[in-house]
Amino acid sequence: MKSIGKPGEHQVFSTFFLFWVIIESQIGMGILQFQRKVVQVAHHDAWISVLITGGVIHVVVWFMIRTLAKYESADLYEIHQHALGKWIGNLLSILYMAYLLLLGTLVLRSYIEVVQTWLFPEIPTWLLSSSVLLLTVYGVLGGIRIIVGVCILSYLFSIALLFFLAYNLPYADWRSLSPVMEANFQELIIGAKQMAFTVVGFEIIYFVYPYLKEKKKAGRYTQMGVLYTTLIYCLVLVLSIAFFSEGQIKKTVWPSLSLFKIVQIPFLERFEYVTVSLWLLVIVPNLLLYLWAATRGMKKVFHWNQRRSVYLSAALVLAICLLLKTNLQIKFLGEWAGQLSLYLVFVYPVILYFIVLIRTRKQRKEVK
Amino acid sequence: MFFFRKKRGVSQNKQSSESSPDLKYIPSSKKEMEMVIKSVLQDDTDLVIKSLQHPGKELTLFYFSTLTDRKIIQKSILSVLQNLQAPSPSLEEIEASLPIGEVQVTESLDQVIQTLHNGWTLLHIEGKTNALLINTFGMKERGLTTPENESHVFGPQVSFNESLATNTGLIRKYIASPKLHNENLEVGKITRTKVSMLYIEGVASEQNVNTLRQRITELELDQLIDSSMLVQLIEDNSMSVFPQMMLTERPDRVSAFLLEGKLAVLVDGSPYAIVCPSTFIEFFQTSEDYYVRWNMATFVRMLRMIAMFLSIFFTPVYVASLTFHYEVIPSALLVPLAQSRAKVPFPPLFEALLLELIIEFLREAGARLPTKVGQTMGIVGGIVIGQAAVQAGFTSNILIIIVALGALSSFTTPSYMMGTTIRIIRFPMILLAGIWGGFGIMFGFCFLLIHLLRQSSLGSPYLEPFYPIRLRDLQNSVVRMPFPFFSKRMVLTRAEDKGKFNAKRAKQKKDIDE
Repeated sequence: MKSIGKPGEHQVFSTFFLFWVIIESQIGMGILQFQRKVVQVAHHDAWISVLITGGVIHVVVWFMIRTLAKYESADLYEIHQHALGKWIGNLLSILYMAYLLLLGTLVLRSYIEVVQTWLFPEIPTWLLSSSVLLLTVYGVLGGIRIIVGVCILSYLFSIALLFFLAYNLPYADWRSLSPVMEANFQELIIGAKQMAFTVVGFEIIYFVYPYLKEKKKAGRYTQMGVLYTTLIYCLVLVLSIAFFSEGQIKKTVWPSLSLFKIVQIPFLERFEYVTVSLWLLVIVPNLLLYLWAATRGMKKVFHWNQRRSVYLSAALVLAICLLLKTNLQIKFLGEWAGQLSLYLVFVYPVILYFIVLIRTRKQRKEVK
Repeated sequence: MFFFRKKRGVSQNKQSSESSPDLKYIPSSKKEMEMVIKSVLQDDTDLVIKSLQHPGKELTLFYFSTLTDRKIIQKSILSVLQNLQAPSPSLEEIEASLPIGEVQVTESLDQVIQTLHNGWTLLHIEGKTNALLINTFGMKERGLTTPENESHVFGPQVSFNESLATNTGLIRKYIASPKLHNENLEVGKITRTKVSMLYIEGVASEQNVNTLRQRITELELDQLIDSSMLVQLIEDNSMSVFPQMMLTERPDRVSAFLLEGKLAVLVDGSPYAIVCPSTFIEFFQTSEDYYVRWNMATFVRMLRMIAMFLSIFFTPVYVASLTFHYEVIPSALLVPLAQSRAKVPFPPLFEALLLELIIEFLREAGARLPTKVGQTMGIVGGIVIGQAAVQAGFTSNILIIIVALGALSSFTTPSYMMGTTIRIIRFPMILLAGIWGGFGIMFGFCFLLIHLLRQSSLGSPYLEPFYPIRLRDLQNSVVRMPFPFFSKRMVLTRAEDKGKFNAKRAKQKKDIDE
């Protein structure tokens, strides 16, 4: 199927860069606080849950890529219109846009919560959120190539944080990981389900796919990115389990930040303050990708000017951020979004694949 | 502009009367010619009209005394004309007898007016509608000196001067190839400044050449004084604080860039060449990096990168950690910090801004002062401000170290433009750090990142070897690999001829004991 707005030669980027886009989309606010949710269910075998989630993602990504490969150069919105018809398709597209904006809002709001908790308890939410959104708007206006660039550079600058976790190794008690497989299968699966919302973001492949230079290699680099993220999550979780006791993890809101407390450099202590500041670099690519994908949909579905929809969505995200006042509200919305993501990201792509399969077969028969 | 309007007016009048010939062409009578030239050039006092009574014909010379070389006119024109033997020499005969290379026969009055302003001499012969134009340009130019702003310890020590011809010659000396193209363009309706676009055919990308030519020729200006003005007009984003095209005064550097597939623009009267496309990292490189061994060059380049980060972030980090995040400072360091700040009545933000401002004052004063008084700056800066400010309790000793280090690092940037940019962006960074602490610094950093990613230079990405990642160009970015690695030209320039030499043979190694 031919698509309407096929990107020009100067808009596409190397498929190779997709690796970083996937990593940056999957790692956001979740990695700071996911330990508690998983450990609560799967106890010290939680890392197996993480691996299970990772395995499921590989399968889902496979379905996604196969769906996209059925078309020459289409994103999810166009696939919807083609496979599900104008009405149902657009409705689902709108749902997906809302979901993307919701993800962006949650990332932003929970980052602000962290900043307010660790750095500045007094600073008002509107100031922080509007300033971060300003950055985001500036980035999104640059287009997808700029966003991919932010992903790569953000990775380069923030990956160093991972090495600082090595300061925990002398204090890690590896015995707390054994005995392996103490949790039963059901617990592991529930743990994996708990993990799911933390690692969403890879659905961005649905939207950046038309902008890839060599679409055949998309699958390879997406899978590599997903594998890398799963390993990072696993590493952080294993380190947390070894470092904290189970009871401690359950009581700590941001275990990853607490891990950084140990880091000591001759001129620097209390590294978590640095981490919280540096984390802005990690969430900006997140926000850029979500906002870009959502506004892309507004262009495709409502035929709005994307520039204007960027301003509009930023205002919307800001408004929701301001409505979320307490930690409880954020948590509630997060759980709700987690449920939604389970269906939209993990179940729906598989269904969509079969629908597309049937539709394209039918078309081929008609052509014959 | 002015005299052109005048000229057009004159010619229209004459056309309407229809009695005299069309004034686009040179009139045959000497009197009319004199009148026309005088009416066009108004009463320029440096215009010389010299008539020679030659048996049979009257020869007249027109030239600007201020633009021409008196010796050439005396020895090569006047004395030759006076010694002419033929009773009524033709134009060709005169042309043959003149010992000057650049002689043109012309009929067009436009060309005459233009070339007179370029220092040419017009030889008019009574009764002929075509005349001779002789290049007698001669003006004192500054001698070739060592580069002042891009001084190197090692390598060639010559820089451009203000003459376009000399500058082009300097580059031709390095690249003795017929492929080196020199396109002459003109910018400015009044100034009619000569602009040369240089590139190596078959190496430079044709698309780049066309883009740059279009950008220069489409300028609608009345004046152009210097290449640093031109560069601001043809840059991709003139709103940005970052320079997007390189300005350099070193002919060796321009030549090296040309061989890489880049384009250079020289402006008459400017000792700086514009080189494009350029990337962010190139502003932190020097041509000396290629003259010294690769390991030294790599070390120095890394040093410059560290200096850049220090210069931008050191003072803001001090401000942020002292204002908001004092938990971050280890207790061993906290004691000397607190001791040195105990007497200071100002908050860290104010203290830092004050000291940074003083450093900037010193720098600006040092740049403006005549060299004879310049020594005073050292005394004022070092003793009066440094020591007195601490003793008076205005600032802390530690901040002085930090600010001085930041200033020092900013001067390690080889490009003057980029160095200034870095010093400027330090101020918003300090302000952000003073308002929002660590979050503010990261906010500024993210903004810079996105901003740099959005820039381009002649359509090529500005942060090139880092994004888009290009491994071949990364070999010559923060590091400088040995020469066998540079067998191909940069990806950035999209050179037509990509290869420089045979990489396999350069890297060939003998087996042991062979």
